[in-house]
Amino acid sequence: MDLAQSPDPIRSRPSVPLPVKIVVAGGFGVGKTTTVGAISDIAPLTTEAEMTEAALGIDNLGVESQKTTTTVAMDFGCVTIDQSLKLYLFGTPGQSRFGFMWDDLAHGALGALVVVDSNRLDDCYPAIDYFEHTGLPFIVGVNAFHGQLTHELTEIRWALAISDQIPVVRFDARERTSVRDALLVLLGTALNRALGEPSG
Amino acid sequence: MPDGRIRPYLRALVPVERFGGPAPTAAVTADPAITRVPRPFVLTSGRVTGTDPTIRLETQVTARYSGQRWDSPELSRLPSEMRNIVLLCAEPFSVAEIAAQLRLQLGVTKVLVGDLRAAGYLDVHVRNSADPSTPDVIQRVIDGLSAIT
Ligand SMILES: Nc1nc2c(ncn2[C@@H]2O[C@H](COP(=O)(O)OP(=O)(O)O)[C@@H](O)[C@H]2O)c(=O)[nH]1
Ligand SMILES: [Mg+2]
Repeated sequence: MDLAQSPDPIRSRPSVPLPVKIVVAGGFGVGKTTTVGAISDIAPLTTEAEMTEAALGIDNLGVESQKTTTTVAMDFGCVTIDQSLKLYLFGTPGQSRFGFMWDDLAHGALGALVVVDSNRLDDCYPAIDYFEHTGLPFIVGVNAFHGQLTHELTEIRWALAISDQIPVVRFDARERTSVRDALLVLLGTALNRALGEPSG
Repeated sequence: MPDGRIRPYLRALVPVERFGGPAPTAAVTADPAITRVPRPFVLTSGRVTGTDPTIRLETQVTARYSGQRWDSPELSRLPSEMRNIVLLCAEPFSVAEIAAQLRLQLGVTKVLVGDLRAAGYLDVHVRNSADPSTPDVIQRVIDGLSAIT
């Protein structure tokens, strides 16, 4: 929009890449860190963020802000697309009470891959609710633990109650090319959205 | 605006010539009251919120003056965590990478990066356009990922 008047300082400095990011969300133990590690140029790094008391207070409805703090771990990796473009992947647990952190993660993200273990579908509900609410392009990636799915993708789509516009793909979090293909489906959705076309 | 405010604890550490005054003297550098500095959580008064919202996890950070040694007059007066940030950012690093490499909490890292920018040590490459999800950028990511085998 106002790009013409105010040139992006990053573009005028070729040594500093434009950072873009994809969020990898889902419940605990569904394969988020594995997904990030499979595609990243570097071994996944971990950082911690401390939840504020206010954030706890919002979550614990009815419970007045307690003097406790919770530390949330977040992993990330990156893929250097070229010298001027760097893709970051942020993997973060999908509890609804971590919403404050998702705002930072999701702002300006190209999209989100919601990783699902077909044995524990309800673990991903907070993530799906969040991305539906914020309007960030997302797809559901069903991580095929042991090479098998306990449910067909159509059953999973039905159980998750997501629109037909949202792609549901099967992938293997341990396989680089499989993660790549899941991300390409997500980026196709994001591209359609950016072009103003109906997705799917 | 985000560049304007220098937090009180950093004022004594800001190189004077940044503001047109004389360079710091040896006497100032040697002052033990200046080199005795509190740890980051104390430095930030536990602040992990209310930071500049344009400083995000992926935001790129570079040292304003490259090639500074850890024992240079300017850097040696910084708390070690802040000095390490400046030294690390001789190359562009994201806020998340800085936090991970230096084992700092994300919130603390954002505060320290914002403070170091205000004090003139760092450039924080904030994007002008709110949304990078342009078809052009997305297509470049698609092309880049497609090349992965
Ligand atoms: N067999 C199998 N194990 C997996 C797969 N994906 C992840 N795991 C394992 O499941 C565990 C949890 O994965 P992790 O990526 O740490 O989950 P996270 O909590 O979502 O980050 C780890 O021990 C992984 O090695 C998979 O596709 N197949
Ligand atoms: Mg993990």
